[in-house]
Amino acid sequence: MTAGAIAVDGGDLPLGGGLLSLVRPALTLLEPDGVLAVLSRSSSVAEDLASWCRAERHEYLGAEAAGDRMTRHLVRRGRFSVHRPAVPVDPHLPERADASTGFAPNGSVVEPGGPRYPFDLVERDRVTAPEVAELYEQAVAAQWSAARDIPWSTIPRHEAALELAVRQVMTFLAENELSALYVPSRFIARLHPAYVGVAMFLATQMQDESRHIDVFLRRAHATGSPPAISSASTSRSLHSLLEIDNFTEASFLLSVLGEGTFLDLLAFVERFAPDEATAELARRARIDEARHVHFGLSHVRHALAHDGTLYPRLEAAVRHRAATLAGIGGVPAPVQDALTIYAAGASDPRRVARGHEAFRELLATMHEGRIRRLRSAGFTAEQAAAISDLHTPNFM
Amino acid sequence: MTETILLGAVAYDPKVVTIWEGIRDYFNESGTPFDFALFSNYERQVESLLAGHVDIAWNTPLAHVRVKQRTGGASLSLGMRDSDRDFHAKIVVRKDAGIASLQDLHGKRLAVGSRDSTQARILPLHFLREAGVDLDRVHILPFDTDLGKHGDTGTSELDVLHALSDGSADAGAVGDLIWVLEQAAGHVDPDRLEVLYTTPGFDHCMFDALPTLSASKREGFVRSLFAMRWDNPVHRRLLELEGLHEWMPPREEGYESLIAALAAEPALAATG
Repeated sequence: MTAGAIAVDGGDLPLGGGLLSLVRPALTLLEPDGVLAVLSRSSSVAEDLASWCRAERHEYLGAEAAGDRMTRHLVRRGRFSVHRPAVPVDPHLPERADASTGFAPNGSVVEPGGPRYPFDLVERDRVTAPEVAELYEQAVAAQWSAARDIPWSTIPRHEAALELAVRQVMTFLAENELSALYVPSRFIARLHPAYVGVAMFLATQMQDESRHIDVFLRRAHATGSPPAISSASTSRSLHSLLEIDNFTEASFLLSVLGEGTFLDLLAFVERFAPDEATAELARRARIDEARHVHFGLSHVRHALAHDGTLYPRLEAAVRHRAATLAGIGGVPAPVQDALTIYAAGASDPRRVARGHEAFRELLATMHEGRIRRLRSAGFTAEQAAAISDLHTPNFM
Repeated sequence: MTETILLGAVAYDPKVVTIWEGIRDYFNESGTPFDFALFSNYERQVESLLAGHVDIAWNTPLAHVRVKQRTGGASLSLGMRDSDRDFHAKIVVRKDAGIASLQDLHGKRLAVGSRDSTQARILPLHFLREAGVDLDRVHILPFDTDLGKHGDTGTSELDVLHALSDGSADAGAVGDLIWVLEQAAGHVDPDRLEVLYTTPGFDHCMFDALPTLSASKREGFVRSLFAMRWDNPVHRRLLELEGLHEWMPPREEGYESLIAALAAEPALAATG
């Protein structure tokens, strides 16, 4: 209720003994020039309330007897304090966020005069995803523990070549997940808090990636040896992800294409896992990654629906990234070799042939999966095939 | 002098640098060339204004009245804070001191602020005298801190409140702003202290200039000053630090009681 005149009962409270905690909130309900009646039995209030009004630029209008030893003091509200209109809060996110609302929660009464914040992701349709609240809830409910939920004690002593392959695969997974930890972090700081739901989801994504890095490195170290090779081409690929400034482009390249591809890679790691612990960590990581892919797709679909010029821009971003990897034919050799031995389960040549076949099938599966997700985002079959081809050497 | 306005202000607190650097930047950005010089006391600032070393002085009421008197009333008053208008002083008493009226102050200990503080010393004593209190029969407990700052620091007023709280004084004189702000901050025990008397209103600080100030400087200063707004984030920070919501036009009638008080005490009326 926005009232022209309201009253509070101050009882015996002196100004410095709690009366202001009744007077100030009551004044915020009034429009400027509205009148507040303060009923009081305290003899000091007349002196002190008048002085307080002067300090706060309200106007003390005077006092009159109100019976029962009560005095009614009248205060006309000034124009410098906050006005708290009792209107229903708009449940929709603002289309464009106001830089001066800073960290004020949506729907709160923002006092004018605060500083402008440097957030530059301020347009709803360029940051949000329709399903973000639901995905956040799922993420919170699905958290698990690297220490508790993986049967680490079941890892046996594998053949040296196989264990080396496991360490190489885990090294590769860990460095890719490191990039997936860092890339969203760059956008959270730029995201206007009006869209905090997106920041909160990205925070769960970062927590997921932290846990994945943890399990992949624990597995790499499980037999007491250090992680394996980090290749220059993987490094260049991940570096190019970190350079992207546009949230939708980053979401598209990291979550739709990169993490989408990782769903197939993690299914492969689970399927050919040489032990229960490795299978379980791959399975759990894949479930988390599916949520990230879901968010990326939901966001990109939403952004594309609101901006038709995005299709060529996203395609251009993929081409630009592919150009940084020009000259690299495909998957880095240490990763390709490790995945082959991993799928073979041994270094015996006959089994290696099967491993090699499984690796080729993996590449085909990844390509099909990417095309399916790109089609679901709204790209044509032709665009999807071209984009998927360009993405191939990246994995992530 | 150049077309850059040089303003004098007294460095009574480190925040004075923040305030005037902020106002300098804002004035220059708004097209009014501006700089400032800091003084350690109002006596030196008044002399520098009168000697033409600064264009404008941001003066306490005591300094303002001295400038008016030294220029035979010809000095220019350019503006004041909203909080400078209708200032009051309070005589606060301990509830257990047995003081129910001004006459009860006789024989009691009255804490007062610095002898150059308008709100905590000069005017409360002036008004008590006018109200019939014989100050020779009151034990005056003075807190002469930060002399030369004319009570700007508020230190002597806080000393007065402490003396009241710890029982070393029965009554004390403070400005109304310190009194309500200390209460609002929860620093005053309302069971122990209350207001006995509120003085008539008087006005506080003023921007003073000599009548020789060029029209362009005067107009530029007034234009930029009065364009400051509470809801502008840059301005608001400065206004809050300087203790106002908006700048107001000058007026002289709020200094009459101070002029009368100084006439009764010639030693205070003189500069330095």
